[in-house]
Amino acid sequence: MELLGSQNLAATPDQVWAALFDRDVLEQAIPGCESLEQTSDTSFVAVVKLKIGPVSARFKGEIELSDIDPGKSCTLSGKGSGGIAGFAKGAARVTLTPEGDYTVLDYTADVAVGGKLAALGNRLIKSTAKKLTGEFFANFTKALTGEEETPVT
Amino acid sequence: MKTDITLTVNGDAVREAVEPRTSLADLLRDNLQLTGTHLGCEMGACGACLVMLDGAPVHACLVLAVQASGHKVETIEGLNESGLIKDLQERFHDRNALQCGFCTNGMLMSAQALLSENPMPSRPEIREALSGNYCRCTGYESIVDAISATAKMRSGQTGEVS
Amino acid sequence: MIPSKNHIGQSHRRKNALRHLAGRGRFVTDLALPRMVHAAFVRSPMAKGNIVELDVSEAAVASGVVRVFTAETLNHSCVPWTGTLDHFAGMQSGAQNMLASSEVLWVGHPVVMILAHSRAEAEDACELVMLDIEDEDAVVDGDAALVKGTPLAAEGINSNMCFQTLLETPDLDDAFARAAHVVEGKFTFGRHTAVTLEPRAIVADFDPSTGQLDVHHGTQTPYQFQDVYARHFGLSEGRVRVIAPDIGGSFGMKLHVYHEEMAAVAASLMLGRPVRFVADRLESFVSDIHARDHRVTARMALDAEGGILAMDVDDMTQIGAFSSYPRTSVAEGNQVIRLMGAPYQMPDYRGRLSVVFQNKVQTSQYRAVGHPIACAVTEALVDRAAELLDLDPFEIRRRNLLADDAYPHVSATGYQFEKLSHQASLDKLHQMMGYEALRAEQTALRKQGIYRGIGIAPFVEITNPGASFYGVGGARISAQDGAVIRLTPAGDVHCAISVTEQGQGTETIIAQIVADQLGVTPDQVKVTTGDTDNTPSGGATWACRGAGIGGETALRAGRKLQMQILTLAGEILQADQQHLALASGAVVDKTTGQERITLAEIGRIATYRPDTLPKGSDNSLTAAQHFAPTGYPFDFTNGIQASHVEVDIETGVTRLLKHWVVEDCGRIINPLLVDEQIRGGVVQGLGPAVFEECLYDDMGQMTNASLADYLVPMAGEMPDIEIAHIETPTLDTILGAKGVGEAGTAAAGAAAMNAVNDALRPLGARISQTPMTPLRILTALGHV
Repeated sequence: MELLGSQNLAATPDQVWAALFDRDVLEQAIPGCESLEQTSDTSFVAVVKLKIGPVSARFKGEIELSDIDPGKSCTLSGKGSGGIAGFAKGAARVTLTPEGDYTVLDYTADVAVGGKLAALGNRLIKSTAKKLTGEFFANFTKALTGEEETPVT
Repeated sequence: MKTDITLTVNGDAVREAVEPRTSLADLLRDNLQLTGTHLGCEMGACGACLVMLDGAPVHACLVLAVQASGHKVETIEGLNESGLIKDLQERFHDRNALQCGFCTNGMLMSAQALLSENPMPSRPEIREALSGNYCRCTGYESIVDAISATAKMRSGQTGEVS
Repeated sequence: MIPSKNHIGQSHRRKNALRHLAGRGRFVTDLALPRMVHAAFVRSPMAKGNIVELDVSEAAVASGVVRVFTAETLNHSCVPWTGTLDHFAGMQSGAQNMLASSEVLWVGHPVVMILAHSRAEAEDACELVMLDIEDEDAVVDGDAALVKGTPLAAEGINSNMCFQTLLETPDLDDAFARAAHVVEGKFTFGRHTAVTLEPRAIVADFDPSTGQLDVHHGTQTPYQFQDVYARHFGLSEGRVRVIAPDIGGSFGMKLHVYHEEMAAVAASLMLGRPVRFVADRLESFVSDIHARDHRVTARMALDAEGGILAMDVDDMTQIGAFSSYPRTSVAEGNQVIRLMGAPYQMPDYRGRLSVVFQNKVQTSQYRAVGHPIACAVTEALVDRAAELLDLDPFEIRRRNLLADDAYPHVSATGYQFEKLSHQASLDKLHQMMGYEALRAEQTALRKQGIYRGIGIAPFVEITNPGASFYGVGGARISAQDGAVIRLTPAGDVHCAISVTEQGQGTETIIAQIVADQLGVTPDQVKVTTGDTDNTPSGGATWACRGAGIGGETALRAGRKLQMQILTLAGEILQADQQHLALASGAVVDKTTGQERITLAEIGRIATYRPDTLPKGSDNSLTAAQHFAPTGYPFDFTNGIQASHVEVDIETGVTRLLKHWVVEDCGRIINPLLVDEQIRGGVVQGLGPAVFEECLYDDMGQMTNASLADYLVPMAGEMPDIEIAHIETPTLDTILGAKGVGEAGTAAAGAAAMNAVNDALRPLGARISQTPMTPLRILTALGHV
């Protein structure tokens, strides 16, 4: 399942970049985040509680940042295991482009789900993934700038 | 945390304390031992759990017990004892319109609802009315025959099963 | 005159249907026992992987939780099971146990069992289990599974090939060499599943004070499970009672050993209290057996006149990570290659079978094991040959079907046919469906851009199997059945019998048969089934044996009791029993039909006044009888089906307009019930032909595992089904009945596929894959 999106963030690329690696910002941004632990400069362990359709579960996941081009782009890969609900794994390529006072954040993510999450069909998963992504960037923008975000797509 | 609810089930006043998430089906089956209402999918697809809520069929698996508070519920046990569907039950028996019997509750509910709205349904109309009732055993034709025969008898025709 | 004992052959209604109509069914799902706990399972979300972390500590202390089991705490109580049988030479499978210990092998593989005061609380606790699995590449595709270097689908196997076999007649190559025509095809038959409306259900109830295990189990084979539970949990068989009450559909799915049921029994043994497991619909899809899943390459050699010379078939079937237990997962493929070309005079044959492991839910026997595949492949090739030779589908079959006077016959695959009626069935179908008029209508409608198709498919069905089916391979699966019939003190009749009831009407036909032996009405015969403590041991329900084997058992038991009653009556009446008979609930004079003494009076005397009997009289009014087929290894039945369809070539949607069946199941005991078995069977064959498929992605995830996404046939989509019969009783039994439960399923899909291809023929399109979804039809048409 592919997810594409773009966000306009009222901050400079450097500010956005720093926030992407900021444990506190990420903790506020990740929907349902119960705990987030930084295990190295580029890796985190998160526990997230989510409800997707009729399936609710706590996911324990690892997030790793790689292919880093500071201030410009990086790849976030993650794998989350949600016990009875299933699992999700994927990678997102994130690029930052300055545009006036804003920074445009583009992402291309490839996400795979398994277990009950897969059994319930991609329709539900895709809309939920979109919603969660939306929530993530809304929270991220708020944590970063104290303002509501302005989605482009 | 439980909520108190009151409702009428098969003419009896019922007062129960239920969790907010308890479905009407679970209330009927587990609390009231009305096990004629069956659960086949718990997502409103199979029709095995149909009951009458204020006279109209609903999926008891999709209605929360708290939503039924203050309302009138009739299950297969109630309909059976009322004698209201005796003719329908007889035509099902004649035509062997059930095998394992797990879907039968829902079939009778859908049939009764259809016949109260449309006393002389055509075969395609009967099949359409059963579009939310899954039966793995019969292949449906005998059920269509039984409903059709009931309609004919109720409207004074012979109701011979073809 | 003695009134005729003619309940056999009459359309008696089912007494047990009345309970269901009144909402008084007694399903395992309805059972609540004191101190019962409810089970839920944490399942693998991955098709294959290693468990790296499993933390159940939070779940163990969650609200309502009674106990949490993992492989470490549960599996030791059960002897592992291995789904192989000796007569399938060279087959292999890994051993299985209840919960996955280190490796998970399909999406849905149970890892943790949680017992709580309610199912909801057990499910809540499942969410608190931390299960981390390091995923590995799953073996998803059967062809890829056989490529060298592909990882193994499970431990304990030396390759992903579970079983291979080859059947070949000496002249096969020669037959193809001299053939005037050869037609061929590649076919794909999707995976589907039973979707019984009542899911799998069990309440295991172990009483530590007496050592008694009672298992209330929604199964068609209670004796088999009595044996399985005794052996695998180290109990004496006498202390294990399996009760199968009303069962909400079974169809072969509920006779296999499942991890969850074994775990429920194990947990009850450990806790000493009742344990209930009822699968919810989502877990049914990833734990009930799946069926079919074949890729078949086949060719057929014909002479210049369209006479079939030979078939050459290669079937690859994909069965999951293990072979199922105790019947294996290879019987399906084995029957596929043995039923190919079965209705025809086909001298030569080669059939290859490859049964392949992969990381999906296990497949195994489901209604009409192997039949739909063999029938669809054979009949598709016959239609292709007809097209090539410009013969009508009826004509090419008329030329090739076994002649009705050509029996006994041994097929090219080694099956022995006692007597079948293919030609008579073909003629009857032709007449019944108004074939010529349908063809004329088809031609007229094509001019208006309406594409209708007619497809026919003769079939042979395997029924009444003897011990060569499973017993010789070492399986403790009974091919015999038993009945105990008694005359009660009040003169009623009770029959306890080992064949079981799932709504097909077993109890009704047994009552009819017994009634005729004892001169009573079926209403006076109470039949008990489905309880290992109260019925004699037997095979129960599988492979269409209830009427043929169970019925014969009841008949012989009835005759035995008849003799006992007549002997006793002769002694009471001081009459020659040769001159007595049973009729109208009494002992009557054989010649005049005049009543001599009622059964009630005999019951009374034998029970309460045995002192009045002549010295030495035996007052027993109970007869026990067991019966196993000893003649042909199977009683084959035959028939033919036709399907009429309309294909919307814009949308690819197939509408099933009508279906016809001519069937010969030998002696018909109850025409009403036989017809409804056929109708239900047909729809179970049409479902997978047009809708049903377990869809998997390339990671081994089932992506439509709910009733919202998995399409089952519903009333609005199914056609009316017209049925006619030929009766060719088997001479192997007194009763002469053969099986019928799988006949409908055997050929419905084949007829539908031929009908769709008949509709598509003028457009130059052809479909060779089921289900025939709109997308696949549009693809065949080149529209997508």
